[in-house]
Amino acid sequence: MRNIIAIFKKEFKIYFETPVAYVVFGIFSLISGYFFLQIFSYFQRQSLQFLQYQAAHMLEHMNLNDMVMRPLFLNINVFFLLMIPVITMRLIADEKRLKTYELLMTSPVTTWQIVLGKYLASLSVILVMVLIVFIYPMLLSFFGSEGGLSTGSIEWMPLLTSGIGLFLAGASFAALGIFASSLTESQIISAIVSFGLLLLFWVIGWASAGAEGILKEVLRYLSLLEHLDQFTKGLIEVKDIVYYFSVIYFGLFLTQQSISSQRWR
Amino acid sequence: MIEVKGLTKFYKQIRAIEDVSFSVEKGDIVGFLGPNGAGKTTTMKIITGFMPPDSGVAKVAGFDVFESPLEVKKRIGYLPENPPVYNDMTVYDYLKFVAEIKGIESKKIDVEIERVSESCGITDVQKRLIAHLSKGFRQRVGIAQAILGNPEIVIFDEPTIGLDPNQVFEVRTLIKELAKEKTIILSTHILPEVEMTCKKVIVIHKGRIVAKENIEDLLRRRTKISEMTVRVKRFSIELMKQIRDKFNIKVSQPPELENGFNFELENQEDRIEDIAKFIVDGGYGLLEFRPITLSLEDVFRELTTEEKTV
Ligand SMILES: Nc1ncnc2c1ncn2[C@@H]1O[C@H](COP(=O)(O)OP(=O)(O)OP(=O)(O)O)[C@@H](O)[C@H]1O
Ligand SMILES: [Mg+2]
Repeated sequence: MRNIIAIFKKEFKIYFETPVAYVVFGIFSLISGYFFLQIFSYFQRQSLQFLQYQAAHMLEHMNLNDMVMRPLFLNINVFFLLMIPVITMRLIADEKRLKTYELLMTSPVTTWQIVLGKYLASLSVILVMVLIVFIYPMLLSFFGSEGGLSTGSIEWMPLLTSGIGLFLAGASFAALGIFASSLTESQIISAIVSFGLLLLFWVIGWASAGAEGILKEVLRYLSLLEHLDQFTKGLIEVKDIVYYFSVIYFGLFLTQQSISSQRWR
Repeated sequence: MIEVKGLTKFYKQIRAIEDVSFSVEKGDIVGFLGPNGAGKTTTMKIITGFMPPDSGVAKVAGFDVFESPLEVKKRIGYLPENPPVYNDMTVYDYLKFVAEIKGIESKKIDVEIERVSESCGITDVQKRLIAHLSKGFRQRVGIAQAILGNPEIVIFDEPTIGLDPNQVFEVRTLIKELAKEKTIILSTHILPEVEMTCKKVIVIHKGRIVAKENIEDLLRRRTKISEMTVRVKRFSIELMKQIRDKFNIKVSQPPELENGFNFELENQEDRIEDIAKFIVDGGYGLLEFRPITLSLEDVFRELTTEEKTV
């Protein structure tokens, strides 16, 4: 455990004492803020239209949770596919390039400890990104309560589950990302391989559209992006949790295997 | 302390080392000598548990490197060919990280960092980013990292590479200092380094061990053809010719030797006495009569140019 913490601390410092994390946060805030503004202004336009036409029954469906936050989370989920490889690409590849890999591999730490320490550090970056997303509902509830719109209230429970879901989604992307990072000593190749892996797991979901029966369900289940949906509705389902944890375990296991086996070559 | 038997390692088709065997006793300081590409780094990577051999075994302090890697790694401090430092960290943070993964107790870490920083002369750069250090200082940080936690065995892969002459001297002094209480292997292709710091030497060439012994023994034993030099008061070419014909040996007169000459003996050491007697009895006024010792450099060249195995 001490070893995991030592490795975690080192990675954490490198993320937060170099520009890496801040560039990621900056770009993430910019893009997610843009998503938010787009979705929110669309929501406003629609609300106004319904108000004008006195479509009260329609207005009932217009709530911030379903109309703004849910789409925002789902969009960010896709955006994570692009952001997370950037976070994980250096984790192992850079150690190889810098030759510090030899230090790690000849220190009394196990491969699992190295993998876990590094992985947890990448999760801390993802956690901050998820927290950034929570700025938007906070803005909504602040200005919403002032503006006096009847639709301006926010339910926090579904947001909490969405946050958990988004974090788990990010965590499973990162597990595949660290695996990609263990395959090479080039950060660029590492990033490209993880994009590739993540996209593959995404497009599996598209294939389900054309499939039938069991196969359709299986393909849908395998898709990386199908599992956030329930979370954004405020539902935490065992099958989704199992899915995310399986991907995480799978990714970390492959990483550990790849590190151990490379030494045999 | 370290026992290596029959190590062989291929990188794809390239044979890096073949059937490398040697042992290092506790307290030894061994020079691992060989030209570029000889397989020094490969052997060290195997002993430190960085990678396994294709065949053969390596044991450190009785533990097999690949059966109990953690036990072995705990006991070894290793300076790889390139100092394994993180550019984005300060020297202090880096050493602290290394101390933590080496499992040094948290309370003792600062004292330990101070100790190694002092002996490597990096106390003043503790707060600097490693990226901003000169090559020599990065190397010192690498050395500090290796001796952190006071490991029983220290393995240095070309420790003085990239250092200026003063630093080279300091590092060698430091290594000698360490040698008092530790088992050390250091690789190098610089001969004087071995002569200066090591008691034993292992010579490796094209992946094979060509010699392993005490430096003096090596020098002595390789002197198969012993060359002697003679200086006398009353020198004449006649004397040289007489000795050549009487003893049937090769003689020569190097230009720098005005009143003397050299002769070669091939496993005929019992004749040395006769030759000396001949000169003394002849009344030539013997001034000097000594063997010409081969330098380690000559031995090295000899060992690594003929493909002879010892
Ligand atoms: N990763 C690798 N892949 C392929 N070949 C390698 C690799 N590492 C070393 N070799 C080859 O193995 C042989 C031994 O290399 P090694 O690095 O052990 O030599 P060395 O004695 O340390 O040399 P130097 O003095 O140059 O450091 C060389 O022929 C080298 O080209
Ligand atoms: Mg080398």
